[in-house]
Amino acid sequence: MIIGLQIVTLLFSFVMVYFAALHYKRGEIDRIEIIVWFIVWSFAIVAIVFPDLLQSFAKEFKFARLFDMMVVGGLILVIAMVSKAYISTRRIEKKVEKLVREEALKNVKK
Amino acid sequence: MSKSKIFIVTPSFNEEKHIGRTIKAALSSGLPIILVDDGSTDSTYKIASSMEIRTIKHKTNLGKGAALKTGCEAAFAAGADAVILMDSDGQHKNEDLDKFLKALDRGYDVVFGSRNLNYGVPLVRYLGNKIASLLISFLFKIYVSDIPCGYRALTKNAYKKIVWESTGYGVETEMVINVGMSNLKYCEVSVETVYLDGVKGVTLLDALGVLGDVIRWRITK
Repeated sequence: MIIGLQIVTLLFSFVMVYFAALHYKRGEIDRIEIIVWFIVWSFAIVAIVFPDLLQSFAKEFKFARLFDMMVVGGLILVIAMVSKAYISTRRIEKKVEKLVREEALKNVKK
Repeated sequence: MSKSKIFIVTPSFNEEKHIGRTIKAALSSGLPIILVDDGSTDSTYKIASSMEIRTIKHKTNLGKGAALKTGCEAAFAAGADAVILMDSDGQHKNEDLDKFLKALDRGYDVVFGSRNLNYGVPLVRYLGNKIASLLISFLFKIYVSDIPCGYRALTKNAYKKIVWESTGYGVETEMVINVGMSNLKYCEVSVETVYLDGVKGVTLLDALGVLGDVIRWRITK
């Protein structure tokens, strides 16, 4: 069961590394971002293949199991990313609103 | 306040069914009219721009709040001293305009239209409005009996003080909250409303979104 789960999560991690590389190639993310993503997914791959390596690390942070630490870590990462996406969406919305309204006010038809 | 310096501002989105009739009725008031087409995909803008009014077009749909802001800014730039905000779907009766004009003449900065059960507001909406009024009164110390009613008037000075950030349906609520937080003189006048389209207007989802905004404004304003 664990081996099966490891294979699935390992495949998922490799697919995500591929997507990160693809976005970098297309110029949608910059060098710093691709490095961050490589670090994140490399860490995940190491944790999946060698779970015992991180066991002592999990104990240090008072997690009973490595799995619990990974879930909490993943959740923190997701919350941080959703917050970042929300802020960036709001920023874009405001910019679009300003642009559209300024353009409209320039072309008032009498 | 001179009547020619009071403009009607009406935001509009996909209202080709009603816009012609609404504008014709509003034109009979003799007040200058500014229509803001908020990125309609039907012939609303075409119909409106063929009439004797000022028309403005948003290239994309931004929401009622943004359209009202554009309309108010255009009106004040054109020399208006006050604006009367009216929906473009024919909900708001032209006959009630005089009540707003009189209230502005009496020196009020902001005039809120208020519908009541006698004027055909469905009971569920009426109760929802009352709950919203009580909530806003509790959180912001201002009681307006019909918060979602978009039939309103405000002076140039009031606009500067209460200019809103909401782009969507939260605009009416934010306006009330901003009035509550300023020292502007406000009043309510009773207005009649005709419900034409059952599915248009504020939905339950919109209302929940506005509730979230209210909580955010209580923390941030």
